[in-house]
Amino acid sequence: MVLVLALGDLHIPHRAADLPPKFKSMLVPGKIQHIICTGNLCIKEVQDYLKSLCPDLHITRGEYDEETRCPETKTLTIGQFKLGLCHGHQVIPWGDLDSLAMLQRQLDVDILVTGHTHQFTAYKHEGGVVINPGSATGAYSSITYDVNPSFVLMDIDGLRVVVYVYELIDGEVKVDKIDFKKTTATTHSAH
Amino acid sequence: MDNPLSQNPDSTWGRFFRNAELEKMVDQDLSRLYPEHGSYFQTPGCQGMLRRILLLWCLGHPECGYRQGMHELLAPLLYVLHVDVERLSEVRKLYEDHFIDKFDGLSFEENDVTYNFDFKKFLDSMEDEIGSHSNSKKVKSLDELDPEIQTIVLLSDAYGAEGELGIVLSEKFMEHDAYCMFDALMSGAHGAVAMADFFSPSPAAESHSSLPPIIEASAALYHLLSIVDSSLHSHLVELGVEPQYFALRWLRVLFGREFSLQDLLVIWDEIFTADNSQLHRDSEDDESSSFKILNSHRGALISAVAVSMILYLRSSLLATENATSCLQRLLNFPENINLKKIIVKAKSLQILALDSNVSSLSSTFGGAYNCSKSAVVRGHSLSSDSVSPKTPLSLVPDSYWEEKWRVLHKEEELRQNSVGKQTPSGKKRWSEKVKLSLSRTESDPSPARAENCKKGHRSSIRRSLLEDLSRQLGLEEDAEKGGCLGASNSEDDHCIEVLVEGDNCTNKESICAAEERCESGSGTVVSDENSSIFSEPASPGSGTNDHENDTEKSSVASNLFIDENDDHQQSNLEDSPLPVSLPPEDVSLNSLHENESSGKMVSAMKERRHLSGRFQWFWKFGRNNVGEETSDKGGTNEAAKSPNHDCKRQVIESVFQQDRCQVGSLDNFSKNILVGKGQVTAMTALKELRKISNLLSEIV
Repeated sequence: MVLVLALGDLHIPHRAADLPPKFKSMLVPGKIQHIICTGNLCIKEVQDYLKSLCPDLHITRGEYDEETRCPETKTLTIGQFKLGLCHGHQVIPWGDLDSLAMLQRQLDVDILVTGHTHQFTAYKHEGGVVINPGSATGAYSSITYDVNPSFVLMDIDGLRVVVYVYELIDGEVKVDKIDFKKTTATTHSAH
Repeated sequence: MDNPLSQNPDSTWGRFFRNAELEKMVDQDLSRLYPEHGSYFQTPGCQGMLRRILLLWCLGHPECGYRQGMHELLAPLLYVLHVDVERLSEVRKLYEDHFIDKFDGLSFEENDVTYNFDFKKFLDSMEDEIGSHSNSKKVKSLDELDPEIQTIVLLSDAYGAEGELGIVLSEKFMEHDAYCMFDALMSGAHGAVAMADFFSPSPAAESHSSLPPIIEASAALYHLLSIVDSSLHSHLVELGVEPQYFALRWLRVLFGREFSLQDLLVIWDEIFTADNSQLHRDSEDDESSSFKILNSHRGALISAVAVSMILYLRSSLLATENATSCLQRLLNFPENINLKKIIVKAKSLQILALDSNVSSLSSTFGGAYNCSKSAVVRGHSLSSDSVSPKTPLSLVPDSYWEEKWRVLHKEEELRQNSVGKQTPSGKKRWSEKVKLSLSRTESDPSPARAENCKKGHRSSIRRSLLEDLSRQLGLEEDAEKGGCLGASNSEDDHCIEVLVEGDNCTNKESICAAEERCESGSGTVVSDENSSIFSEPASPGSGTNDHENDTEKSSVASNLFIDENDDHQQSNLEDSPLPVSLPPEDVSLNSLHENESSGKMVSAMKERRHLSGRFQWFWKFGRNNVGEETSDKGGTNEAAKSPNHDCKRQVIESVFQQDRCQVGSLDNFSKNILVGKGQVTAMTALKELRKISNLLSEIV
């Protein structure tokens, strides 16, 4: 029952002022155990806010991030799952499944979380999951202005992960769920 | 769609998070449970069991949830089970050969009985056995065994791996048993008192008052206390000590925090053996105002234990001046206590509690005064329904009080012989009919004796005074006690005084009653009189001089010493202070001034009149200054001062002693007479006396 929040591409304060109020009201401290952030927050204040939601915060560096010390990619193990994190502007073509799968193999993770496209996508691919949480603020991307605010909440429970997608469509929060089961248990390797 | 961040409170995730909260709270409480007995309570096995039981119960009763304190109710139950099981296994180990594994001639019925064992009762009895462990010894035959062990062994005789006793006391089922016990305790097991009620913040469904049950129960405590010891009750009320400040903790954990574990188990034995079934009240009774907690024997006993605990701290409570220190003392119950005493007292109060709940109260819980008033009336006339609960006492006809007075007097006569016995204040006398043996703490005065000393009956007093003059000077040691009595005597006198002046009451019969009482109580009167002399000099310093009072006093004084003017006596005896001298006092006080000032007046008057009276008596024997009787009070005082420095000093010392040693005699004497409304006068009297003693100390 480990809850992991995945979000990114907030672009605060350049492209958006803040998270949508409906999202903010849902995100209360105490419920979530980990937060993974794909990048492009951009400022420290947003980082502090996320830290207040949960102390365990992982960020990778996006191209507009003002915090320069974050890594480009990150891997972590939660429960039985290995998670990989990357902003995604490094992977060309942006948002391409095969390229992202390459990255996934490279990082050797079960779940790869990337962003940059500001579009929510989730693929089940080769025994792994590739997730793009989209933009939590609905900020415009390099490609398009038509962006719905969205983020992802993963519920990791043993060998099963349930991915809840929260999207703000027409002012309403829509939730969707994706189930994913892992076939083999992970052997924990020292990091 | 059900998602973790769902705002829907009924969602599974919502419940998940709420349960997580619950677990956190329970864990927090458990980690701090009984650290002094950590060797058992902090073991993971015990903690796990407690945790599971609590969580399960709370999840099963979502309307109650988990409240701090529930774990403290559960822990001793589990402890008892654990100890019993351990003891059984100990005994088994030592006396293995005696535990035969076959039928021993016990019939089937007997065996079946054990299956219906009431766990609580049985474990209580088992606990008594365990309470006194015996040393292990080598024994050949069963008879040589200690009787407890014999019982254990015999009870285990049956076939089956664990025997009969094993069915009840089984290690495997300890948790289950504890859960059942806890559930029964919390839900009340179809009885009246359910502990879970005390944790709920909202009023119970069928409660007649709109108060949460714990507040109602605390009010019940105060109600009982007001019946038993009204001055302490009024003192607490005056200080603003609401009962729930301390009763919350006491009741919610059933005194778990006030006593050590072993003492607590003894108290719980008593409480749990009391029957918890709902007592059915007559339908004619005003249903709207009886206390729920007092609806069963067990509830009554719980309230009685609480009240007896308050009474145990009586002297220290009466000595406190503000609510904080009062609460401090109540919440830090002393360590080394005479538990037996508390329990015995509680048992006697239990009967009273049950009776007091028979008749209903006024619905104003905040009106402690009204409650105590009506309670007193009720307490006395258990069967009389003529007076409705809400009738203020002032509307009660005078004859009612006469009647009560007479009844009271008869009781008192019966009690005159037991000199050594310390009886509570006059008000309590009525309730004493019900409450036979009340072992009071050392702080109790003998107000009954004091009450008996009706100065109005001059003849008997004088006679006895003359007889016991020689004792007077040697009564130093009595001064302490006598001082208060003397003071109370003064109160009596002043009461009479007041009543005379008020002249609204014309209870001649009560006078006769008082006279009779005085006669019978003459022996005690003497000592009071004697010692009262010591307290007398305390008053001269009083500032307020009232001429009209002086004349009154002197006239009474003259009565006292010179002649027996029966008429005068009669008038003086008018409405001798009733133990619950509320209406007459009310009336008379009202007739004098407004309450406050009259109270001051009364107390001042009392002291001074008494003083003048006593002084004159003293002089008569010591100095033959008979002519002083009619002199002005002031003159008397001045003259009196010089020759009586010594005795004054003694008096002051004794007065201060009384003050210091927290006998609370000053409080007591005021308490004796002034009940309910008289609380004002009591306080003022107290203040007066303190002022006086201070002044005197300056003089001396």
